[in-house]
Amino acid sequence: MVGPGLIIYLFIVAYPVFYAVWLSFTDFNPNRGGAWNFVGLDQYSTMLKDPWFWHSLKNNMIVVAVSVFGQIPIALILSYILYRKLVRAQNFFQAMIFLPQFLSTIVIGVLWKRLFSANGPVARLIQLFSGDPSAQFTMMLSKDTVMIPIGFVLIWMYTGLYVIIFLANLQKINRSVIEAAMIDGASESKIFFRIIIPSLSSTILVCSILAIAGSLRGFDLIFAMTTQGLTRLNAMVLPIFMYQTAFQDYANDMRFAYGAAISNMIVFISVGLILISNFVGKKLDPTRTK
Amino acid sequence: MNNTRNTLLIKLSKIRIGKIISYIVLISWVLLTVIPLIWVSYSSFKSNEELTRDIYAWPYDLFDNDSDEYVVIERTLNVRPDYDEKTDTRERLIIESTTISPGRRIMVHFLLKEDLPPEISNLKPGDRLTISQLPSVMRMYIGWKTIWFNYISAFTAGGLFMKFINSIIYAFLSTLFIVLFGLMIGFATSKLGFKKLSMIIIGLIGLGYLISINSVIIPLFLMLSNVNLTDTHLGIILVYTAFGLPLSVMLSTQFISGLPDSLIESAYIDGASVMQSFNSIILPMCKPVIITISIISALGIWNEFLLVLVLASSEFTKSLPVGVFSFSSLTSTQLGWQLAALVIATLPAMIIYFIFNNRLASGVVGGAIKG
Repeated sequence: MVGPGLIIYLFIVAYPVFYAVWLSFTDFNPNRGGAWNFVGLDQYSTMLKDPWFWHSLKNNMIVVAVSVFGQIPIALILSYILYRKLVRAQNFFQAMIFLPQFLSTIVIGVLWKRLFSANGPVARLIQLFSGDPSAQFTMMLSKDTVMIPIGFVLIWMYTGLYVIIFLANLQKINRSVIEAAMIDGASESKIFFRIIIPSLSSTILVCSILAIAGSLRGFDLIFAMTTQGLTRLNAMVLPIFMYQTAFQDYANDMRFAYGAAISNMIVFISVGLILISNFVGKKLDPTRTK
Repeated sequence: MNNTRNTLLIKLSKIRIGKIISYIVLISWVLLTVIPLIWVSYSSFKSNEELTRDIYAWPYDLFDNDSDEYVVIERTLNVRPDYDEKTDTRERLIIESTTISPGRRIMVHFLLKEDLPPEISNLKPGDRLTISQLPSVMRMYIGWKTIWFNYISAFTAGGLFMKFINSIIYAFLSTLFIVLFGLMIGFATSKLGFKKLSMIIIGLIGLGYLISINSVIIPLFLMLSNVNLTDTHLGIILVYTAFGLPLSVMLSTQFISGLPDSLIESAYIDGASVMQSFNSIILPMCKPVIITISIISALGIWNEFLLVLVLASSEFTKSLPVGVFSFSSLTSTQLGWQLAALVIATLPAMIIYFIFNNRLASGVVGGAIKG
């Protein structure tokens, strides 16, 4: 019964993990039929000296920050409003908030690339509001600002996921606590900060972990939002760096070995960040301080 | 008296302010979500000229096509016929629109001369005619082709039809295997004894949550190219199946272990084999969890990008997201066509989403937070 599933799983999911680790310690050369030597940590030290690595890491950290400090707080507010039934047409709002989450990242990326193009719909809005008919949307074009529209789309796309998770966990909160607080005259903001946030703290932690892991391996959205060349280099994150190294840089003899080192580094960094957030979460956890 | 009334008023107004703020927040969020989607849907019915003229206006040109003016052109190399010239040698009048991308040989119709009245079929290249002069069947035909111009062009020029079929094949077959293998493992580990072994297997597969296709794409590519499975449907389906298993195993183990043991025991007493009891007892009872797993897996595979981007090198195996992406990065592609391609790729996912809305949300929670 277990056989077919387990075999496929072991070959295609488990084995490559070890393969990737082995690959990153070699100088595996696909241009010479896969000849390889064991080179220890060479690939990793090249990576640490590579300015592109640091550039992508910086962008990736922006993505992580946007996810943890942008998506999660917004999701908390939205799910609180839905949970407290402060509005009518709940189901409609809920369906609309969840929606982007289930659409193709590529489609969303290409769509926003069009919306954000220099003379696109967003630029047209700017022209309407600023009264300057020649205004263009240039944020995507400059190295310093390219992460702003990307961060916006990240929030647009993934906030719904956390709303789903928060809502599911809010159902578990004992409603009588909130009713008691209301009888005592607590305002909505007090209920939110004093009751909801503390009782969701472990969920918030789980969401942060999901956000960190997800944003470190997120490839599609930024890939689709940028065009090959300068914009993509400006907005490059680690997975794109890995992809370009391994699958587009054919002249590089060590492209697969170096690429494997990069993707292992991504896993390594996300495990590290998750441990840190776990630690911070435990420190902040109100049930533990006393 | 007065005092309590005042506090009551304050309370009421507080509630009202809270409500107003809530509405503002939710409505603006929903608008932010929906407006881009609405924009892309209606703009996909606009011609390129309209899109450059005013990017927000409602579509008009393609719908109001009855008095469109056309010009007769010669059969040159850059005119691509929409029929097979080798088998079909009937004479045709080739006309091109003078309003929609004129001169670019994009908006071209091939009219059978035998169906045309003589004064039109005798027109020479360079002559002009309007659609209203044509026989009514042809007018209808050209009318529809004009309205769906962007969509037809996306399918033909972008080769999206083949990719659409591929996406369906990938999503359907992989989901089938994911569900089947997941249920089998779930059944075996929760109902057939072997406690220790089952724990190990479940733990091993649970670790798969930490690994995404993105993080092992390089070894996957090398492995599959060693066995010549890159650029094949089989290779891609295998990978999707393997990476869908953790979620499927987790959900089905949870579900099956909740079923009473006595069901299977009584089947044994009646002399059923393991396979029989799986087929006739477990499978029918697992319907809800099967639906949840199927929708989540199928949507995930429908939207997946990197694996096909890396593995598929020929048009024959590419999936819709890869097709849409490469189509939209071609500079020769008209904006209207790109928007139509986006709608084509989104619509199936949207339909599934709105049908299975509630089940999806609960499934995502189950998949995201284990236990």
